[in-house]
Amino acid sequence: MSEVKISAEPRTEFGKGGARRTRRAGKVPAVLYGHGEKPKHIALPAREFAAAIRHGGANQLFTIEITDGTQALALPKAIQRDPIKDTFEHVDLLLVRRGEMVTVDVPVNLVGEAARDTLVVHESDTLSVNADATKLPESLEASIEGLEAGSQVTAADVTLPAGVELAADPGTIIALISAATVVEEATEAPEEEATEGEAAEAAEAAAETAQA
Amino acid sequence: MLMPRKPPKGFRKPHHPDRSGASKGGNRVVFGEFGIQALEPAYVTNRQIESARIAMTRHIKRGGKVWITVFPDQALTKKPAETRMGSGKGSPEWWVANVKPGRVLFEMSFPNEQIAREAMRRAIHKLPMKCRIVTREVGES
Repeated sequence: MSEVKISAEPRTEFGKGGARRTRRAGKVPAVLYGHGEKPKHIALPAREFAAAIRHGGANQLFTIEITDGTQALALPKAIQRDPIKDTFEHVDLLLVRRGEMVTVDVPVNLVGEAARDTLVVHESDTLSVNADATKLPESLEASIEGLEAGSQVTAADVTLPAGVELAADPGTIIALISAATVVEEATEAPEEEATEGEAAEAAEAAAETAQA
Repeated sequence: MLMPRKPPKGFRKPHHPDRSGASKGGNRVVFGEFGIQALEPAYVTNRQIESARIAMTRHIKRGGKVWITVFPDQALTKKPAETRMGSGKGSPEWWVANVKPGRVLFEMSFPNEQIAREAMRRAIHKLPMKCRIVTREVGES
């Protein structure tokens, strides 16, 4: 994954008021820490940061050029987003060195098509791996080609590129292949039937939902 | 229909739940591929949840899976019609989920995105607030 150069400026005001002013100015409040250094509070340009994350994913490596003249290599450790507006609220950046092995969660994509009349449930969409900070894989692939109902894809089945080691438990389930079930609507029962106190019916509905 | 097996002792007739603010959790699709996300606050009754679920499952027919990620665990009371004020609080009438903006209410896994979206669109019509369809974002931290 290539590095993205991004400029940043040090933040002088903190708290929700300061953070909101930073966001209104088209910037994302961020904090830079790691290697036992004192945390640095910075503001990143929102558009550039969003574009980098959109193209490179959550593990995009950044070369941060702070206006006070310092430069740092960092990986996003935690990204907080607004669930409605989908904007970035705050970013935690972890300082890394070239050649340093880091543990990151890499997205896993399922490739191929499972057997007919099966349903693929993506249990875990990321996998924890150890890799060189400058050579992180963008995504990993796991094949589900022709898998029958009842089979599963585990972390051990994922093909890892050279220089990447699995950090998660090899038995971690990535995807489950289950038989496609017919959604049964036994009766066209009018909803008025269900009145207060019919707890048994509630349990049935919950069971039906789980099957559907 | 979804409702608590037994209302908690001492909380049979609670005050109306707080409707301010945004959802603190349950804002992302985690089980299926697609989800229905609330954009406004609302009390969603167990009947509305059931109606939306039926609308969705009848459209997809087979080969999919639906998750309901909210539970109507709050009782709302109502006094009988033509009753004078006073004489205590009314009796529990509805079971509702207190949904705040950003909350994902339903999730779905289905191989065909077009059919899944149509099923969710039909389900949204059964709900009392503005909603949108969201998709799972792979690898989001």
